[in-house]
Amino acid sequence: METFSFILIQTLNALSQASLLFFLGSGLALIFGIMRVVNFSHGALYMLGAYIGYTTARLTGSVWVAMVISPLIVGAIGLIFELGFLRHLYKRDEDAFLLVTFGLTLVLAEITRLFWGAPPLQVAIPKGLDSVVFIFDEPMPTYKIFLIAAGAIASTFIWIFLERTRLGLLIRATSQNSQMLHALGTDINLIRSGVFALGCALAALGGVLAAPSVTASLGMSSAVIDAFVIVIIGGMGSFLGAIFGSLIVAGVQTFGNYFFPDFALVFLYALMLAVLIVRPGGLLGKEA
Amino acid sequence: MQSKTIGVLVILALIFAPQYLPVYAMTLLTELVILALFAMSLDLMVGYTKLVSFGHAGAYGLGAYVFGLLSLHTNIALPFGVFLSAVIVGIVAIGIAWSCTMATGVSFAMLTLAFGQLGYAVSIKWVSVTGGSDGLSGIPRRLGPFGWAMLTTKTGFYLFALTCLIGSYFFCRALIRAPFGQVLRGIRENEMKVFALGYNTRRYKIAVVSLAYFFAGMAGALYASFAGFANPEMLFWTVSGQVLIMVIVGGKGTLIGPMLGAIFFIMVEHKLSELTESWGLFMGIIFIGFVMFAPDGIFGILNKNVSKRFNKKSLFPQDAGNGAGDQQL
Repeated sequence: METFSFILIQTLNALSQASLLFFLGSGLALIFGIMRVVNFSHGALYMLGAYIGYTTARLTGSVWVAMVISPLIVGAIGLIFELGFLRHLYKRDEDAFLLVTFGLTLVLAEITRLFWGAPPLQVAIPKGLDSVVFIFDEPMPTYKIFLIAAGAIASTFIWIFLERTRLGLLIRATSQNSQMLHALGTDINLIRSGVFALGCALAALGGVLAAPSVTASLGMSSAVIDAFVIVIIGGMGSFLGAIFGSLIVAGVQTFGNYFFPDFALVFLYALMLAVLIVRPGGLLGKEA
Repeated sequence: MQSKTIGVLVILALIFAPQYLPVYAMTLLTELVILALFAMSLDLMVGYTKLVSFGHAGAYGLGAYVFGLLSLHTNIALPFGVFLSAVIVGIVAIGIAWSCTMATGVSFAMLTLAFGQLGYAVSIKWVSVTGGSDGLSGIPRRLGPFGWAMLTTKTGFYLFALTCLIGSYFFCRALIRAPFGQVLRGIRENEMKVFALGYNTRRYKIAVVSLAYFFAGMAGALYASFAGFANPEMLFWTVSGQVLIMVIVGGKGTLIGPMLGAIFFIMVEHKLSELTESWGLFMGIIFIGFVMFAPDGIFGILNKNVSKRFNKKSLFPQDAGNGAGDQQL
């Protein structure tokens, strides 16, 4: 029974972590699928989402409002950036996109430091979720259960949106053959802008959700590496791959940190390399 | 003026600088020389082979740590220590490059970032060897070979660093003009075509990453000796970002451009940090501006203006023709 409850608790921990990683990784995967480029600023947007969530929660007194406002603001920032800069880079090399979003990362990190200061900020767990439930006599924060539910619901909704709606169909078509879609009379620029904003908003939502458990800090912007590992393992541009990748990465992080605290990171990268050797396009991606 | 004349004048000015500049300026100049070497090493990858790396700080930091450990535990002479550190970093790079070149394009860049962060994590966690987050301090500057004491002085060390930079520059310049460099440029323009011509492009990429790491390791070793310490901050990804900024802003694929970029970066950092605390914000904006509107960097702008005025093709025809002018990033 001891081992069983231990495994159960750790699995729940891993699932709640996977849920946060999902918000990060799925946005990156969607953007990659549509634009064939990596958004380096994804981690910075995740961080910005957490900070805006912090301020909104303080002003309105409700984390629930922050979960709506913060993704909207960050999505708008992403939209402005796409229209102002990224749109002009599609004809250029993919590296230009990487470098410009890297520049955005620097700018966002500095702006965040200016507005909120360097010390990490504690965000309160929303009321009603700050209790603890007992599972086989082991304490488990309700907030983690909530995170698991949020991730499951969000991934289901996005999946239905992508697979069962007309707009989702157009998004998938853009990622397969954007020129053909353009020739058929669809405004692919609109789709690109929309998906970029959606990806940014997802990252921000992840940031708001993560803030109560990890505090909002400037270090959150290096989450782009985690997001990228997820996308490599799951498959570049594959939404289901992003879900799958978040589960694997969270599993390795949680169990690795428990059993081999010093080597968890090495395990993760070794796993990523193994995937690259066996399936260069990722587990659910197309063959690269 | 011919480009050769300018080059000779610049080198002469740098050699005689210690006699005319005050001490604090010499410290800055030494740091600049080291950073210029660091930036130039990245240009081999980014500018000539289109291998964008976000993990170059890994090579820099590794060089610093290897040199620190060598100096602390043996009494190896400074030049040999620097060279040996660079060789070790170059050898380690073969393994890293083997892994990273399994991916191409943007994935390559992100893999280098992952390896850089892995190095950072190791430098913090492996306390018994690296000293943890405190790093290695009190790295001694041993006497040169045959008890040559000159290298331990400020001027002597500056001249040694300058020699490393100039030697590396001429080595790299010869390398990129050799058939090896032609293959690299071929990979930059169209890797599949070069592969179809029968070149094992992956082996070439591993070779150039190893060389770039060699020179970055040399810069790191020089810095460790110059500052007397090596710490995990040197491996952090923001350092990789800064050196990438130097290369792009200076002008990639020109070797000289990244050095100009290093000068520009340090000048902007010094000037802006006097005015505002958040100089990083402006650096980010400047960087975005260069990527968007001047992908050829400072070198490209200078080259265009000079060649217009003198109605010549360009100031540095060989370098510019192959790197700065003909392609966009």
